[in-house]
This record gives sequence, C-alpha cells and structure tokens, in this order.
Amino acid sequence: MTAFTRKNADKPPVLVYEDVRKKYGGFTALDGVSLHVNAGEVVCLIGPSGSGKSTLLRCTNALETIDSGTVRFEGKPLPKADADIRKVRQRMGMVFQSFELFPHKTALENVAIGLTTVRKLPAQAAEERARALLAKVGLADKTANYPANLSGGQQQRVAIARALAMEPHVMLFDEPTSALDPETVGEVLNVMRDLAQEGMTMIVVTHEMSFARRVANWVVVFERGRLLEEGPPQQIFEAPTVERTRDFLSHLGWDD
Amino acid sequence: MSKRDRPRVCRLAGPSLIPTTMDFDFSPLIDSWRFLASGLGQTLLLSVAAVVCSFVLGLAVGLGRLYGPFWLRIPLVFYIDSMRAIPVFVVLVWIYFSVPILTGHSFAPFWAALVGITIHVAAYVAEVIRAGIVSIRKGQVQAGLALGMSRPQIIRDILLPQAIVRMLPAFGSIISVTIKDTAIAAVIAVPELMRQAETLAGETYRPIEIFSAVMIVYFVIIFPVTRLIDRFYSRVAHLGRS
Ligand SMILES: Nc1ncnc2c1ncn2[C@@H]1O[C@H](COP(=O)(O)OP(=O)(O)OP(=O)(O)O)[C@@H](O)[C@H]1O
Ligand SMILES: [Mg+2]
Repeated sequence: MTAFTRKNADKPPVLVYEDVRKKYGGFTALDGVSLHVNAGEVVCLIGPSGSGKSTLLRCTNALETIDSGTVRFEGKPLPKADADIRKVRQRMGMVFQSFELFPHKTALENVAIGLTTVRKLPAQAAEERARALLAKVGLADKTANYPANLSGGQQQRVAIARALAMEPHVMLFDEPTSALDPETVGEVLNVMRDLAQEGMTMIVVTHEMSFARRVANWVVVFERGRLLEEGPPQQIFEAPTVERTRDFLSHLGWDD
Repeated sequence: MSKRDRPRVCRLAGPSLIPTTMDFDFSPLIDSWRFLASGLGQTLLLSVAAVVCSFVLGLAVGLGRLYGPFWLRIPLVFYIDSMRAIPVFVVLVWIYFSVPILTGHSFAPFWAALVGITIHVAAYVAEVIRAGIVSIRKGQVQAGLALGMSRPQIIRDILLPQAIVRMLPAFGSIISVTIKDTAIAAVIAVPELMRQAETLAGETYRPIEIFSAVMIVYFVIIFPVTRLIDRFYSRVAHLGRS
C-alpha cells in the first residue's frame, strides 16, 4: 500500500488530542485518546454505542472537562476560565442528534440568537445573516416556522445554520441523522457534504457508513474509549488492519 | 374608626342573621351596589397587585434556590417549606397584628394583606418556576453553551421562556387561588368584596342574597381567567416543548 498523506498535513492541525482520559465515576469513557484533525478535513468517528464518541466531542468544546491529557485547538490548550471557554466555543459549531432547537423561537430566531446574545450584533444585521444561512441550507421559505412546524430534517438543517452563524472554524456533528426518518437523512447529509466541499473542518460521529466512505478524509474507529484503528476511508472500509474493525463493520451490515 | 371599619372576625355567628322565613329580598343589593362595587374594586386591585408581586418575588426566590450560592439556598428552602406549611390566613393575621408590635410601625390593612398574600403565594410560584426549569432537558443548555452563551443568557433566553410556557396551567391555578385568597383580607378589615358583603349582610339581615351575589361575582371573575389561560396554553404549548 502506498503511503497516504492527509489533507493539509503540512499545516498545523486545527485540533490535537493528546492522551485524553475521562472517567464518569468508576467508568472510563475515554481511555487515552490521541488523534489530530487537520484544516479542512472531514474526520468521521465510528464505533459501537457507548464507545465514547459523543464524550470526545463534548470534551472538544469543553461541555465536559477531561481528567488528564490535553485538547489543543488552533495550537492552544482549551482554556480554563469561563469567559475564555466561551470564546473558544464560538469557534466550534456543534450539531446534536436531537437537534436541540429552541422551541420558543422561530427558525430565523434560532439562527440569529447566537449573533444577538453572544456577538451583540444589531437585530437587523443578525436577521440578514440568519436569512442568508437558512437559504444556504435550503430553508429560505421556512424562516417564520417554529421548530414544532418543521420536519426532523428541516430542524436539523436549521440547527446546522444556527451553528454556522457563529462562523466556526470547526463543526462537530454528533450523529446528526440518527434521529431522522430515512427519507430526510439525505437532505441533511447533502448540506454536510456541501459544507465539506467548501473546506469546513468537520468531526462527524455517524453510523452512516456510506457518508463516511464518500465524504470523510479520515476515519477513526472507537471502541471502549480507545482508538481501535484510524486511516483513510479506503483502508478502513476495504482493508481494515484490525480484525475488530472488520467485526464492527460487518455488524453494521457493511460487507465488501 | 367607624363601626364598619373595625375588624370583626365573628360577626356572622349571631342568630339574628338567620331568616325565619324563606322570602328573598334583593333590594339591599340594588340599593348598595356601589358599596359592593367598591369592594370589588379593592378585590381586583389586591388580586392584581398580589399576582404581580408574588410572580416577581417567586421568580427571584425560584432562581435563587436553583442557582444561588449555598448560603442563600438554605434560607430560601426554609422560606418555601414554611410558607407551604402555614395557612395564608395565619400569615396575614400575624403580619397585621405582630409586625406593628415588633417594629413599632403599623401597616395599613391593604398593605398587610398584600404583603401576607404575596409572601405566601410567592413560595408556590418559586416552586413552579423551579420545577419548570428542571423539567427542560439538558440538551437545551448544551446547545446554548455550544453557541458560546453564558449561564445567565441561557437562563434568560432559553430556559425561562420555555419554563413559563410549560408552567402556564400551574400559574393559572396559582392566579385563581390568589384571587380567592384575597377574600381572607376581610379579617383585617380591608374593604374588599367579602368584607363589604359581610358588613352589608349584617346591616340588612340579607346574607343569602348578598353572599349568593358575592359567590357569583367571584365565579364570574375567576372562571374566565382560568379558562383563558388554559386556552392560551393549548395554543402556545409547542413553544415549551423541546
Ligand atoms: N454524564 C455521564 N455520566 C455517566 N456516564 C456517562 C455520561 N455520559 C456518558 N456516559 C457513559 O460513557 C460512555 C460513553 O458515552 P458516549 O455517549 O460518549 O458514547 P457514544 O460512543 O457516543 O455512544 P452512542 O453511539 O450510543 O451515542 C457510555 O457508557 C455512557 O454510559
Ligand atoms: Mg453518542
């Protein structure tokens, strides 16, 4: 096999995890994770349920604190002080499995809320930006809808627009299509693929193996809080070097 | 003090009030409707003031109990528990008769009633607000944090609006109970509806007619309030469903 060079390997990575450990009580959720994400890369995290994928994402934007190790974002370890953490979070967009749109706000207000409360943008400017972002995710005609009046796929696209509003340097997706009806999965994956093509740095936790295979630049397989294997999608899906990766993929019905 | 203004808790007990025959005479209602209407005015004023004040105080107490420092939470819990364990009647009478002795300043009956009802009802409001906030799932807070919002911003812009929508039915019952509770201000001679009715009944010996009218008035005020809130809730419930 020829040596694989990762995207933007010559530039400093956007995110670096060094021996990250996290325990919940006696349970080890992350057991010494080291990996990095380069600028413009789409890194897919796959692995069985409970293996620590969501935990790693939440440790990335400091929704969880880590017990030891370091997470470096754009060269600097995650800060400790609350005000500094909030600045870092603005640079990382997060998309949740269950959307977590704010039900008392319209699609437009959901996208604008970060701009008005955090960025202190005037309402007019925030609204314009929110409108443009909703158009970008194909929801120009749904700006006035409340989340209750949007389909799952539409809600998730609003959630993506909400995260993009803060102009993040990296997007964290935690199983963005797992709660969706099969017929709306595609519309969300298309938005994510477009985002990837624009060069957005993305970490995507997903069970959508076809997405991982087609869009990811790098695939990381998790098991019990550890990296089982990482590599380009061709390697992971066609010639996994670790037997347990093969087991996991065939368990998902992924057979070559 | 005129005879009408003196506190009289037990004046209804006299046998003279029991009519010997069941003939109804509604003329006292017609002759003295202004007197009763002034009572209704006081009832409404006291109700609105008590609802507004107890919501403001209840909000502060509820948030203090949830997010305040430890040294603040203990007295707030004690306050909430004691208000839920003591009848509002006792709180009111205590404030009216004890505060002047303790502080040397006497309270006008209206203010004593407002303070008594407010500190009583606020405890329930605090619990309802707390329960509403606690019922919102953690993902909503995480979504706010992920955008870079601060805790106070998340409480104000994400949690409280949803909690208030979710708790509308509970607030509806609190409002109706508050309006009803204003009737006990009669015992400290606040000239509200119940007090005026008692006075009139004592003077005219027509308790059935007068108290029936009073029951109808309370019903006519409170029933639409609770119904309107329920209606409103069914229209906006989705705004609190995350
Ligand atoms: N707040 C918490 N308290 C205690 N245990 C937790 C907490 N969060 C996660 N865990 C545990 O940590 C482990 C890893 O959880 P995590 O959510 O990261 O898994 P995952 O790989 O995302 O799984 P899934 O595919 O089911 O989402 C799980 O066993 C979970 O039960
Ligand atoms: Mg998960």
